[in-house]
Amino acid sequence: MSVYDNSYSRFVSLAKIVLPLAALALLSTLFLVARTVDPSRSIPFADVDVNELAREQRISAPNYSGVTRDGAAISIKASSARPDPANRSRVSATDLRGHLETPDGGTYELSSLSGEIDTKAGLAVLDGGVIITTPTGYQVTSDQITTALEQTDIESPGPVKAVGPAGTLDAGSMKLTPSDDGNYLLVFNNGVKLVYTPPSE
Amino acid sequence: QGANVAFGALKHDSSLPVEIAADQLQINQETGKAVFSGNVEVGQGEMRLAAARVEVEYEGGESSTGKVQRLHATGGVTLVSGAEAAEAREAVYTIGSSEIVMTGDVLLTQGQNALSGQKLVVDLDKGTGVMEGRVRTIFRSDSGN
Repeated sequence: MSVYDNSYSRFVSLAKIVLPLAALALLSTLFLVARTVDPSRSIPFADVDVNELAREQRISAPNYSGVTRDGAAISIKASSARPDPANRSRVSATDLRGHLETPDGGTYELSSLSGEIDTKAGLAVLDGGVIITTPTGYQVTSDQITTALEQTDIESPGPVKAVGPAGTLDAGSMKLTPSDDGNYLLVFNNGVKLVYTPPSE
Repeated sequence: QGANVAFGALKHDSSLPVEIAADQLQINQETGKAVFSGNVEVGQGEMRLAAARVEVEYEGGESSTGKVQRLHATGGVTLVSGAEAAEAREAVYTIGSSEIVMTGDVLLTQGQNALSGQKLVVDLDKGTGVMEGRVRTIFRSDSGN
């Protein structure tokens, strides 16, 4: 290797040796160090039973809406629904949210974990912990509620607990029906116990 | 003219929670008025009031989210507080001023003696009652038997 008198030439000649070696090393990592691709391992995929999915039709985010005979707009949304193989007009759904708007402007919100909607019978049964909020500020919780689809009739056969302006109450059963003069009556039956704590002013 | 009467000697606290038990409760979803029916019992502290029907009326008329102002009991009312008991056809209990106004042939019994009239105004806080309207009273003088 010839000898140069100035440092720059010496630096260049040194670079001429070092740089190609570095390039060679860099290139080799591409083949030597790289992870071996194992063709036998298959592509990871979700292990949902595919034929179960194919056999059972499932609607995601179904939305049932209609108007009841006394003019209340009812709409029920769910996260997923499965038609009942035995009875065509029955659908069992999960995570339902119902919305009922009465002609006088009152809105009722229903939400429950699971439920069945039977359009032929015109009935929706919500269970697994149902919460209803009424326009007068009552929040009613019950474990099962049946809602008629043709007319405004929300009923809870089982015991209910409600919190509202008149205090907290629990009752044997509950029913919401239109009264004769057009507005709606929320009726709690067989045994009502209410506790009202006057706000200390 | 009215007869002053002590009613429920002990001091009644009107901020205690009011408990109402009944067979049925109807809440009108438009006006928010709540009506208890079917042997209704209203209890607050020492005071017990039983009636066939009790209506809950809110402050500010029809606003349903306001404070409960008055309980309007009808259909034969019995009020018991401490040793005294009073019966009447109707009663209105104003929670704010803890005052009960009973009307319709009121009969008030205190231990041995009884007092009857048309209207009884009971102030639970002061423990006093004023009976008005044709007040008749019966004193049993125990003649040493």
